[in-house]
Order: sequence, then C-alpha cells, then structure tokens
Amino acid sequence: MKQSLYGLALFVLLALPPVAGLMESLMIAHMHMQMPLLVLSGFLMAKYGEIRFTRFWETWNVNGIPGILMFAIVAAYWMLPRAMDEALASSGMEAFKFLSLSLLCGVPLRNSWSKIDFAAKGTVLVVFALLFAALGLLYVIAPVQLCNNYVLLEQIALGWGFLTTAFFMVVFIIYHWFTRPASG
Amino acid sequence: MRTIRPNSLATFVVVLFGIALFYWGTDGFTAYTAESARVNRLLEARPTFPADTTFEDSKGRTYSISEFADKYVFMTFFYSTCSTVCVQLEGNMARVFDTLPAEQRGREIVFLSVSFDPQRDDPARLEEYRTFFDSDGETWRMARISDPNELDSLLKEFGVIVIPDESGGFAHNSAFYLVDPDGKLVDVMDYTRPEEAADKVVRLLAEETGRDDR
Repeated sequence: MKQSLYGLALFVLLALPPVAGLMESLMIAHMHMQMPLLVLSGFLMAKYGEIRFTRFWETWNVNGIPGILMFAIVAAYWMLPRAMDEALASSGMEAFKFLSLSLLCGVPLRNSWSKIDFAAKGTVLVVFALLFAALGLLYVIAPVQLCNNYVLLEQIALGWGFLTTAFFMVVFIIYHWFTRPASG
Repeated sequence: MRTIRPNSLATFVVVLFGIALFYWGTDGFTAYTAESARVNRLLEARPTFPADTTFEDSKGRTYSISEFADKYVFMTFFYSTCSTVCVQLEGNMARVFDTLPAEQRGREIVFLSVSFDPQRDDPARLEEYRTFFDSDGETWRMARISDPNELDSLLKEFGVIVIPDESGGFAHNSAFYLVDPDGKLVDVMDYTRPEEAADKVVRLLAEETGRDDR
C-alpha cells in the first residue's frame, strides 16, 4: 500500500505545473525523465490496483501478454515526435500523456512482467533496444527539425540519449541471456 | 481452454486499441511529425494571404501582396543572422529559381523571401543578404514585415512557428510556400528537395499558360 502512495505522490509531483514546465523545456528531459517517471508512478500505483481488482487481472491478463502489449503500444506511441509536440500544444493531449503513461503503461507493466516467460521478456527487451537505436539514429542524423517546439541541438542530444539507453539495454539483454533459467 | 479465452480477447482488444491509437495520432498513418500534420492541415485549409500585410523590400519599397496580383509567389520565411537552416533554405530556393525559364520569372512567378526578424533585417541588411544568393531584388525579392501584428497574423495563418532562443536566434520550421495569383496558399513543399519543388512549379505554370491560351 505504501508503494502505491509513493506512486501517487510521484504522479502529483510530476503534474505540478512548475515541475512539468521545467521537464518539458528540455527535449531530453521530456522524453527520458518525465515520461519514464510517469511509467514508474503507474508501476508503483499498480500495487493498489492489484489488491483491489485481483479478479480483473486474473481473468484478463492470465499470461501477461495483453498487459505487456498494452505497455509496448503506449510507450511506442509517446516516442513519435508528433505526440511530444502535441502534448506541448494542447492541454488535452498533455492530460492524456499523464494518464496513459501511468495507467496504461506503468500499471500493466507491473502486472505483466512477472507473468511473461523468458522468451517474451527477451522479445520485449530486443524490440525496445532496436526501437531506441533506430530512433536515436533518426534524431542524431535527421538534418531537419522533427519537433517544432525544440531546436535541432536538443534533438541531437535526445538522439544520443536514445543511443545510450539502447546500449545499456543491449548490455542488459546479454545479462538476461546469461542468467536464463536452466530449463529454458 | 476456458481460462485462456478472456486473455486472448484482451490481447485482441489491446491490439485493436493500438491500431486505433496510432491511426488517430498520425491522421491515418500520414503524419508522424507535427510538421507534416501542419502541412496537411494547411493544404486542406488553403488560407488566403492577408491583404493588409505590408512588405518593405531591400530597395526600401513598400507594398502589399496585391503587388504580385496575377502572378504566383514562391515564398520562404527566414532571418538573415541564421547560420544554419536559412542558408540551406535560401540556397535551395536559388536552385528552384535557376531551374525556371528566365522569361517566366517576374512575369508569371515572383520569388519572395520574407524575414521574420524586422529589427535586424532592415532594407540595407536585406540588400546585402540578397547578393549572397544572387537574388536580383526584382524577380526574387527579399522583404521584411515591419508591423509586428501583421507579421504575427501572417505567421499564424501560414503556420510558421518561430521561437526566439537564448542566443538571439530563432528556432523555426521551414518550407517552400506557393501562393497562387488569387493570393491563396496552394502548396507547401519540402525545402530540402528543390528539384521536386521546381518540377511542381514548372508543371503548374505550364497548366496556367495552357489555360490562358484557350
């Protein structure tokens, strides 16, 4: 229960206008700090949901696949350059960003990660590492500004952020492979 | 079997949700950046160039868009102290300019580079800047819009986003804008592909001449 409260506190903190404004003023902080922290807040809050709605999760997310798909889809959506611009341009999209990343991304991730097997975990990691690397290269190499609200230099910084994340994900994938269960 | 069924249904629903989310978020898989969404919206709306906007060009002449009545206007938005995108933008504009037959330039189409930095880009500065791109100041003019309200409403109408940065420059989006003889915006083209833009303009002018001959 305590965890859920921490999650809620984190969510409220992120939603405070000065905090949100500060994070969104830098492209890399917007995508690599605010967005993952929102997912984390949902991840923490999920504890409450799991206790309160045990039946729901047991019925609809038996093997964790629907949940992890939901996580992947929403996470991928927020990596579109356009989604990021629109969150800055309209308050409706901004609200959708906060709610979708916490409730549709963080919550199902918590419930699903422990349920999915080694191969599915590996798939998720590899897909996201590839996606991060591709987006990183796109942002670093793209000669044009992809986001109207951020200058080119910030875009390149974000690209390197993606590439760094992708690198560490590859390291983690290797670790994941070597620590695989003996039976798998 | 019974336990797996709601789970499969949930998977199916989630995938549908994903397709719907991306469809909705990209205007039916057509616009992945806000810039392409902006261009799509502009092409649909076809805004008219505000008639009350006053240009002041590098020769110090002032006039409105009616100066170019019965002509196409090939337009870009720039500022002269910009050292990156604008150089490429104006350089590519020069390539489009050079591709067109000399007899059409000035008679059927006019090139116009509009500065959104009227403080620094006065006529003297524009007169100097135009020579960097071999603009003649006549069939390819460079002008500023001195009135901040007129400038703002034009930028808004044509969807040009200009954000001042810390070092006295601006972050801005760039494109080639084509305004037709009636003052309507008819095309917004990728400024990184001058050949494509030139082809389009040549085709459009040929169609126009064909219509006049009839």
